[in-house]
This record gives sequence, C-alpha cells and structure tokens, in this order.
Amino acid sequence: MQPDPSRERPDHNIAMWGAPGSGKTTLLAALFIALTKSDDDWKIIGSDPASSDYLIEKTNALLRGKLFPEANMTMERYHWTLLGPALRKPGFWSRKAKPGPPARIGIGMTDAPGGWYGPAGGPSALDGSGDPRLQKLLDNLERSRGIVFLYDPIREFTLGDAFDHMHAPLTRLAERMLAAGEFTDGKLPHHIAVCVTKFDDPRVLETAEKRRLLTVDIDDPYRLPRVTSEDARELFHELCQVSASGTADMVLKALDQFFHPDRIRFFATSSIGFYVDRRTKRFDWDDFQNMVPGEADEDSRIRGQLHPINVVEPMLWLGQRLAAIRPTVVS
Amino acid sequence: MPEPDRDLSRKAIAQALADLADTDRLTLVEIAADGVTTFLLHRDDNGRPRGRSWSATWPGLAGERGWGTHPAETREAVLRMARAASSTADVMLVAASSADPQVEQALAWLRAAHPAAQVLRAEAPIAALIREVIADDPLTRSYELIVVLVDSDTSRPRLTSRQLFPLGSRPGARTRVALRCEAAGAHGTAFAVVTWQGPKPRLLSVQSAPVAPGRYEVTAELVRPGRVRFTGLPALSPDPRGWDQLVAALPDRLAGGSGPAHLVCAVEVCGADDQVAERLSRARQMISSASGELGGLLRVSLLAYAAHSYDPSAPEFPVRIAAWEAGAGEALNALGALEERGAVARGYPYHPHAAQLEDMLAVVVERLGRADPAPAVILTVGGLPPHPARTDQSRILPCPHRHDWRKLLAALRQRQGTVLGAICDQPADQAHQVWHRIGAAALAHLEAVDVRGLAADLGLVASSPVHLPFPLLDETE
Ligand SMILES: Nc1nc2c(ncn2[C@@H]2O[C@H](COP(=O)(O)OP(=O)(O)O)[C@@H](O)[C@H]2O)c(=O)[nH]1
Ligand SMILES: [Mg+2]
Repeated sequence: MQPDPSRERPDHNIAMWGAPGSGKTTLLAALFIALTKSDDDWKIIGSDPASSDYLIEKTNALLRGKLFPEANMTMERYHWTLLGPALRKPGFWSRKAKPGPPARIGIGMTDAPGGWYGPAGGPSALDGSGDPRLQKLLDNLERSRGIVFLYDPIREFTLGDAFDHMHAPLTRLAERMLAAGEFTDGKLPHHIAVCVTKFDDPRVLETAEKRRLLTVDIDDPYRLPRVTSEDARELFHELCQVSASGTADMVLKALDQFFHPDRIRFFATSSIGFYVDRRTKRFDWDDFQNMVPGEADEDSRIRGQLHPINVVEPMLWLGQRLAAIRPTVVS
Repeated sequence: MPEPDRDLSRKAIAQALADLADTDRLTLVEIAADGVTTFLLHRDDNGRPRGRSWSATWPGLAGERGWGTHPAETREAVLRMARAASSTADVMLVAASSADPQVEQALAWLRAAHPAAQVLRAEAPIAALIREVIADDPLTRSYELIVVLVDSDTSRPRLTSRQLFPLGSRPGARTRVALRCEAAGAHGTAFAVVTWQGPKPRLLSVQSAPVAPGRYEVTAELVRPGRVRFTGLPALSPDPRGWDQLVAALPDRLAGGSGPAHLVCAVEVCGADDQVAERLSRARQMISSASGELGGLLRVSLLAYAAHSYDPSAPEFPVRIAAWEAGAGEALNALGALEERGAVARGYPYHPHAAQLEDMLAVVVERLGRADPAPAVILTVGGLPPHPARTDQSRILPCPHRHDWRKLLAALRQRQGTVLGAICDQPADQAHQVWHRIGAAALAHLEAVDVRGLAADLGLVASSPVHLPFPLLDETE
C-alpha cells in the first residue's frame, strides 16, 4: 500500500541554496506565480501558516508593489511543499494505470554561508563547525535528495565568490553522506538543478547571444529568447570565464566531482523575465530590461509584467525525478 | 651712345630701376659742370625703390693745387666717387653735354673703370629726374591691406590680407573696399598695408585712427610707392606699433558684440530640490550676464527636462519649452516659473540614473532646424547622462522614444555656428563622459562656475572688453 505521508513529512525534500542575493526569494515567489498561472498539475503551498504568509507576502510584493522581496535573515525556518500530480503505479505510461496520492516535495531555503568563512578565514573557520548557518545548510542538504543551486552570474562578475560558497558545504556533505553509506555510485545521491539566475540581465543575455545559445519557443507569443537545458551548461561555462576571481571554472569541476552526470541539469533562469511592451506584446532587442533601478538607498523595481523563464522547469525536473524514486520514508 | 634727350634719360633710368632686382644696387654717377654726384639706388624689403647720394665739386676732387697738377690722385678721387658700385652692380654714367674738359676727363676715367656702364647725356641735374622715376615706379609687389576674418564655427578671428594694388600698379591707382570696424581700444583701428615675400608679410605702413564701430566704404589710393592714402575714414595718423605688437593685440575670440546671439539654456529639473534650484539659478545668471552685455541682440530659449517614466501609470514629464527665441526678460520670467515648480519626476518609476537629455536634444535639433542657420550657443545644465537609444552596456533603460543622443549631438556639432557648453553637477574629472561631449566647447562645474567666463568661453560675450586692432572685411558686400 502507498503510505499516506503527512503534511509534515513530504516524500522528498528540495534544498534551495545560493549566495545571499542570488535570487532565491524572488525565484520562490516567481515559482508561486508561474505555477498558479500554468496548467501544470503542480502547486506550491506553505508547510505551515507562517510559511504560507511569507510566500503570499513576497508574491504580492513582486506583483503589486513591483518590489523585489526583501532579504530575510530567518528564511531557514520557512518550508513549502511542492504538490505534484498523483503518483502513478509502476505502469506509468499505461492508460490503465490508476492515480495514486499526489507527490509531496518539501522545499527549504538556505543562504550559502560563504560570507562568514572563505579561504581567507583560516583553518579553524574552514572547519565551519562553529557556523550555525553551515550546520543548517548541511542538515537541509542531507535531508534532501534534490538541490536547486542558484548561481548568480552578476555577483560572479563583481565578487566571484561562487566557488567559495559551494565547495566547503559540498565537501562536508559528501563526508556526511559517506558516513551514512549514501555514497553508492561514488557520487552524492542528490539531483541538482543548477540555475544560472538573472538571465534577463543584458550581460547574461549578451553572453548567450554571442555563443549563439538562444532559441525561441515557436509557441511563445512574446518570442522571449531562452537557452535550452542542453545549452545552459555551455552558458554556465561561458559565464565562468568572466568571473571576477577566475575560480568560477572550479564550480563546474566541483559539480562534476560530486554529482552524477545524469543527476545534474543546468537552467538559464530569470524570475522576472524580459520586459515586453504592452502594445506590441513582443520581445524587443532594443528594450528588454525588466528592472527600473532605485535611487541610491532603494531597491530596483520590476518594470513591466513578470515573464518568468525556467522557473518552473527546474522544479518539475526535480519533482519528476524525485517522484520516480521511492520515497525515502518507506522501505 | 650719349643721348641728350631728357625723356630718353628718364626712360633709361626707369628701365634700369625696373630691372633692379631685390638684392642688387644701381649706381648713377652724374658728371656735371660743378662736380660729380653719385646716386645709389636699391629696393627695400617692400620692393620699394630707395636711394641716397653723395657729391663732390671739381676743386674738392682735384685738391688745392687744381685740376691737372696730380692727375693720378684726381683720377683716384673721381673713381672713389663710384666706390659703392661693386663689380656686379649696374652703373650708369650721366654726363653733362657741355664740352667741359673736366667732365670729359672724368667720364673717360669712369668709362674705363666701368666698361659695361651705360652712358647718358643730360643737361639738367638728374636728382629731380631720379625722384620722378622713383615716384612713378610700378609696384614690384602687390600691396595688401590687413583685415580680420572670423571663423563662423569657432568665432575665432584670424588675420588675412585683402589686395589693394596688384603688381605693376602705378601711383594714382585706386581701389574700393567695404570694411567693418569694431571697438579698437586706445590705438584705434590700424590700417596696415603689407607686401608678401614668403610666408611672412612685411609691414609697409600702418596708419590708425579711433574709428566708430560700423561699416565703411573705403577708398585706397596709391600715392607713390610705399604710400597709400585712405579716404572714407576719419583722418588717419601714423601708428607707432610694430607688426608683432599689432598681431599680439588680436583677441582669441571675437566679442559677443560682433553680432546677435541665440542662447539655448536646457536645464535638468529632476533630482534633489536644492540641486535643481542651483541649476536654475546658474541658468538665470547666464541669461542675465549675457543680456547685460548684448542687450536686445540676445535671444534666449529655455528648456526644462526631467527623467523618463517607466510605468505607464505614472505620467511622463515631457521636455518643456519654457521660452523659444524670446527676449531675455521673457525667458527670465519663464525661468521664474520653473524655479517655483522645483524638481519634478522623482522616485519610482522615474529613472534615477538618467534624464531625458536625448529628448531635449531632439527638440533643440528640430527647433533649430526650422530657423535660418543662425549661430546658437547651447548650454545644458544638469548631471545625469542621457538614455541610450537601445539597451547597451550602460544598462540604463532605453529612451521610450528611441532618440539617439549620439546622432543628435553630431547633428548639432555639424550645424554651422553652433557652440555646445555645459554646466555639470560634477567636476569635469568626475562627470559622466557624455558631459564632455555635451559641453564640447566648455564644461563647467555647477558649484564652481564662473558664469561670466563661461559666457566668454562660449563666445557669447567678450572675454574682456575685446578690441579688434584691424578692420574686418565686410562680407555682406
Ligand atoms: N535581473 C534580475 N535580477 C534579479 C532577479 N531576481 C532577483 N534579482 C535581483 O537580486 C536581488 C536579490 O534577490 P533575492 O531574491 O532577495 O535573493 P536571495 O537573497 O537569494 O533571496 C533582487 O533585489 C534583485 O535586484 C531576476 O530574475 N533578474
Ligand atoms: Mg531575498
């Protein structure tokens, strides 16, 4: 019999993880909006009232106030559930297959704690045991079988600290997984969706354009440029070349080191998408930025409608991959 | 052959003078009844013939004991009279036709010493003849008047010369020139005649007078070589200044008073209140300063521009043409209204990092294009860069109207007599690079601008009371 997982115990967990400011909160709100709009069977709900409020609040800010959600220092305490279509019995494709209970995938979010300890922090800091954030991230990652890793190319242009943010947690995670006997094929058991965020930024779009990585969906009335998942790895690689520190290349190496190639997928993501003129309703190469910068002390705002790009896709990919795995709670 | 005819002598001397090259000398030795006179002729730097002479009586040449006592010494004395004549110089011997033995003896000695010398026979003393020939010598250089030409783009004056008398002109020749005179300072306007030999002009004469500014129909008359008389002007007197002194008196730029001016002031009216007030007050100072000196000759246009809106629910403040080619008073009133209104278009969704500079340029280009290509000074007062025509590296959102500031600025720079100046919020070394183009002729800092100096740099007013030492060629002729 299928277990009937309680609301508190999803089948699987996804950890959203990225440097502060990499776009996690915005991505979550955009995900909510995109799922609400889409015909997919997936939806996202808060795991508790506070988490639901958080989601609604951030989504409203994005939609109404055209404000980017404010950074939240305590977001680790919020959890959401991605509720998928009903699980099916093994005969997935068979018409006779009967729907089972829906897939439940928990989502937790963590700021990568790289700000507190980097290579400059010294050996004791590198140990990280004293950093509660790292512990929380590791707990979160250990609990999860799906990871949404947000790679912020803009931050990488200017700070170039993505590698610092990811390497230590991955090493520690591998350590824990090895101890738990979960390092079966020599790699972490996780699926990881690497989201290159802020794809709408001219510098990112231009990089994709130069590498001829852009495609347009024939069905897309707005003709928004996209990068397919197949090409997103190349975009990621290309963006790594212009990293401020030059260590971004190692991010790719670390990913290959820790994750099985079948379990890595790249996405060129934009939570806000491109600006589309209300009259022409077409993407315009001359004018596509969807952000209005704020005055010195203010945040940027969103200019036109949101047109999230590759926001739902990483979740669905993870959702489908994880749904195909037997829930960890049953065995 | 000796030739007694006065006209023939005159012709012969005139011909020898005409053949006289710049560096050569012509020696005329007159052997007359009372003694020997030598005339040495040459051309000066202006090609004008000059002469000097010296003479000795027969007793003076022969010594105390008289003609014939020491013929060798007397011969020496006679030959020494023509001493300045080197072997290459032309020598002419002019002898009285009387059968005076002293004359004949002296002539014989001189002919032997200068076998190539032409010999003339003349009765009257030839000094008058030589003066006549010199006075009637046709010009061997063209005589030109120094005038000022003003470059219409930069309003920089430069010197040039206008021909008065061509080569070969003779005394009595006249030429008419239309000239314009400006205020000229203590020495007055200088009417300098030069000749050209190589790249440098040679000053022939400078006469000057305090001439009231205005247009003059002047007639120049060649009185004699080296002397030009001007009529149609107040009485001129010789000017003691040399060429270098005159040239040094030429200003870098022409006075604003040289013609009517159109000042286009464009002010950025978004941003902090006190910043906007400061910009408007600078525009006020500029208009007041220029109008104080140009009076009714100044036309003023005043534009205000702010930031673009990037949300259709918030109104756009389009470029405001507060005044166009108005009098200074009217423009200052319009400025008052802008001051009262203060800063507009602040905060979201108005772009905080750029302003409608490109829209303002589009209005100016369009408006100036309508009128005659009259000179204009465009003074932009602001701090923000323009919006690009399309998304670019600046990541500033593109102008909703897709105006291209680069093209518009290029159009203004190509427009005749258009000067671009700017007062920027930031000092030049910190100003956005666009401001160096918007203030191509002069870029000042809002907090430290010397408004009077800026007006002068833009050619709107004189840098100091400007004096033009020379007349201008009147091209409206
Ligand atoms: N261009 C662009 N900027 C984004 C996008 N999402 C977020 N940002 C920017 O990144 C900042 C931080 O985003 P946030 O979601 O708070 O990041 P978090 O700290 O990871 O939660 C926002 O204030 C925006 O300026 C996006 O899709 N496109
Ligand atoms: Mg945030």
